[in-house]
Amino acid sequence: MTLSFLDRERTIAPAGYNRFLVPPAALAVHLSIGQAYAFSTFNLPLTRLLGNGESAPGDWTLAQVGWVFSIAIVFLGLSAALFGRWMERVGPRKAMFAAALCFGGGFLVAAVGIHFHQLWLLYLGYGVLGGCGLGIGYISPVSTLIKWFPDRPGMATGMAIMGFGGGALIAAPLSLVLMDHFKSATSPGVLQTFVVMGVIYCVFMMIGAYVVRVPASDWKPANWVPPAHPHKLVTTANVHVDVAWRTPQFWLLWGVLCMNVTAGIGVLSQASPMIQEIFGGRVTAAAAAGFVGLLSLFNMAGRFVWASTSDYIGRRNTYMVFFLLGIALYWLAPILGRLGSVSLYVAAFAIIISMYGGGFSTIPAYLRDVFGTMHVGAIHGRVLTAWSVAGVLGPVLVNYIREYQIESGIPKAQAYTTTLHIMCGLLFLGFLCNLVMREVNPRYYYREPPRSDAHT
Amino acid sequence: MKARLVILWLLVGVPLLWGVVETLINSMKLFQ
Repeated sequence: MTLSFLDRERTIAPAGYNRFLVPPAALAVHLSIGQAYAFSTFNLPLTRLLGNGESAPGDWTLAQVGWVFSIAIVFLGLSAALFGRWMERVGPRKAMFAAALCFGGGFLVAAVGIHFHQLWLLYLGYGVLGGCGLGIGYISPVSTLIKWFPDRPGMATGMAIMGFGGGALIAAPLSLVLMDHFKSATSPGVLQTFVVMGVIYCVFMMIGAYVVRVPASDWKPANWVPPAHPHKLVTTANVHVDVAWRTPQFWLLWGVLCMNVTAGIGVLSQASPMIQEIFGGRVTAAAAAGFVGLLSLFNMAGRFVWASTSDYIGRRNTYMVFFLLGIALYWLAPILGRLGSVSLYVAAFAIIISMYGGGFSTIPAYLRDVFGTMHVGAIHGRVLTAWSVAGVLGPVLVNYIREYQIESGIPKAQAYTTTLHIMCGLLFLGFLCNLVMREVNPRYYYREPPRSDAHT
Repeated sequence: MKARLVILWLLVGVPLLWGVVETLINSMKLFQ
């Protein structure tokens, strides 16, 4: 069987191709892999497999199951970093195809783990294989979108990465509906749900792979003229991925993303208990779940709105807003808690989480501005290791500081004050990284080798 | 090409809209 239809050459768009066909292809992938954010809907059912709805001796613990998500996020970062260059070489279709097989296959391997009650198979399936699908799928449409929308790169990547936030909004109710459908006297329905979701996501991602096209090398939007004098920090040159990570700019942007994500992810991981404890008794568990849902909506919307805004105000200014407004809101949040204003507290965190999402969606366009379009997908993949670090650092910081505060005798309602002030400190570090950003030294620019058969 | 564009956007838009509505309904519990 030939798989040549996956080759980059077979995906070059014909003349007259409508570029607005590419964002839904990217969304098909990102809406699928965004399921990862909703994995927690499986946490409790996975701890009650042997007892069929009740926890029984030999059942997995919540801590054991909690590792599945962490492994997946670590492998997301690793695979995005490792497969970035491969993705640039083979093109988006083959990368999306591989991501679909990994992500869908990860569900199926995890289902086998559930069937035989083997935890290592769950880790291997959803964590390792699924995590690779997440990483490859996340970066695969980014550079293609940037090439299709040189006039609006922020809006284009914002649209795709919004899908990653939106994927959780679909997966959470979908998982519940499926588990409810497959639940029986002998099974909680998790196994069947994993199989069905694996197949659905694999097919959905394959549609994206089938539709995606890359523009011809000389293509540009109709009536669009590249600006004669690009904005400050926007380069028309290119930097090779293997050179990019040796520049200070790469590590400054790594720091910008890491600090922004650490602050946001820490809050997201503790959003429900935090609002209940700060407003002791006034916010019920059901209302707190509503708060988490509201944050998910702002997380998704922020990805599109902030990245689109960055096309007008510039990437550096957008991150300046994230850091300065973030510091102000994190500082204000404990005060709003003490004042007992639930609505203002919710509004503050809604804006904070919109900026968390905006940080993810604006970074590809920032990388394109600084390093050019040639290897932006691969460079983006390497920067995403910041997410893996933040995914561990953020929740650990929030959890441990809170526990330390409570052990020191501080009331639960005030136990988050220090944590939120530390988040201000992290955002200030991100602000400093963003503040010192300058253009890449021209000595790092990529120059075509003199031989005509040489390639990038 | 236009029909393809509409079908594709519906394919991704409808599930997303469903997820948004479900989440919004869930979020309303915060204000009850």
